[in-house]
Amino acid sequence: MTESPLALIAEVTHRCPLHCVYCSNPLQMVSSAAELTTEEWENVFQQSAKLGVLHLHLTGGEPLAREDLTRLVKSAHGCGLYTNLITSGIGLSEQRWEELVRAGLDHIQLSFQDSREAAANWIAGTRGHAKKLEVAAIIRHSRVAFTINMVVHRQNVDHLDEMIALAESLQPQRLEIAHTQYYGWAWENVDQLLPTREQVVESLKTIAAAQKRLEGKIRIDAVVPDYYARFPKACMGGWGRRQLLIDPKGTALPCHAAAVIPGLRFENIRDQTIGWIWRESDSFQKFRGESWMPEPCGSCERRTEDFGGCRCQAFMIAGDAAATDPVCSLAPMHSLVEQKLAEVNSRAAAVDDQMPVASPVEQSQFRMYRAQPK
Amino acid sequence: MSDLEDSSQPRLAAGCRWVGEGENRTLVYPEGALRLQETARAILDRCDGQHTFDQIVHELAVAYNASDPSKIRQDAVAFLERLRQKRLVDF
Repeated sequence: MTESPLALIAEVTHRCPLHCVYCSNPLQMVSSAAELTTEEWENVFQQSAKLGVLHLHLTGGEPLAREDLTRLVKSAHGCGLYTNLITSGIGLSEQRWEELVRAGLDHIQLSFQDSREAAANWIAGTRGHAKKLEVAAIIRHSRVAFTINMVVHRQNVDHLDEMIALAESLQPQRLEIAHTQYYGWAWENVDQLLPTREQVVESLKTIAAAQKRLEGKIRIDAVVPDYYARFPKACMGGWGRRQLLIDPKGTALPCHAAAVIPGLRFENIRDQTIGWIWRESDSFQKFRGESWMPEPCGSCERRTEDFGGCRCQAFMIAGDAAATDPVCSLAPMHSLVEQKLAEVNSRAAAVDDQMPVASPVEQSQFRMYRAQPK
Repeated sequence: MSDLEDSSQPRLAAGCRWVGEGENRTLVYPEGALRLQETARAILDRCDGQHTFDQIVHELAVAYNASDPSKIRQDAVAFLERLRQKRLVDF
């Protein structure tokens, strides 16, 4: 029997005041006119709670861009879901925060792009850094769990210690240091974002030292870039195994990048129940379990730990969604990742060249996410 | 970081709460959930910021008719220290 999903990732909108060059949203974003209504989301929450979902992650885009966010949190809380708001903080006033707390919000995850204001604003394509600092001050005295999320990459990882110090001053319970994951816009900009091996090694030392120093005060979770790991990440805890994602227009996906895989038909919650989609739909069954696995995954003792890695990455790098994740050192296509790393490591990380503080973005080598869904 | 003392008053950390009823009760926190054994639930039920650690141990010893309360104390210290490291309990 198929186990129930434990977490629902609700991408309530693709609208966002930030336009981060590492955004993992799809290149084709959903317009606001196509977004699910309040009632449709409430129905999604009810169905999910009945299925056994515990965690609801409200994300986007920027969830605060939805005016009905407080009502969504209240409804989800009423269904017994644990609600987590993943946000840039832009659009969060003190009054709105109090409303969200009253509605039953359990956890807020606030993102920072850098510790240095100009660089942070440049990465985000907007002047949001100062506002985020204000928001952190509003959040930290409530009974809502507070996580700060720092996204690191080639352009900022050299001053990770400064970023950790900033996080420490904002007093969260948790700090997530996430190396960029290469999907969506981040994949478009992978050459400018992928760190060198030396940078990764240094960052791990910095993180280990901070974990020790802050033990019992701030819990630090770190996501290591899988390009440099020997084995792949257990993407989503396995395809259709633990989590499902619903995009702004109601498409149910096993992960947020799955739409890049050709030949899969994804169902919409406007047409089918979530239980049916989870248990029966072709897209959720496609890479569930082990029967789809090629060698060496099929006989690998790690297959119950990493589930063959990431299907989207296999497609993006190797052109075959059913291949072993090419980041795995045992993958037949691993040489493609090694080539990419050789390329990236042959260039020194030139922070100052890449991140002009004052000069216009047009001069940059990034293909940016600067568009907005209509 | 202070040690767990007899006078400490442990409580669930912000954003950490129970979901479900009876034996299915699950402790849910920002990035995960724990289904716990009965004794662990009994300890956490008393982590309300009011009970002192000494009271918790005492109540458990009575509730479980323990012949050796020092064993309960030892287990409870290890358990609560571990949960504090995960930032699920404050004291």
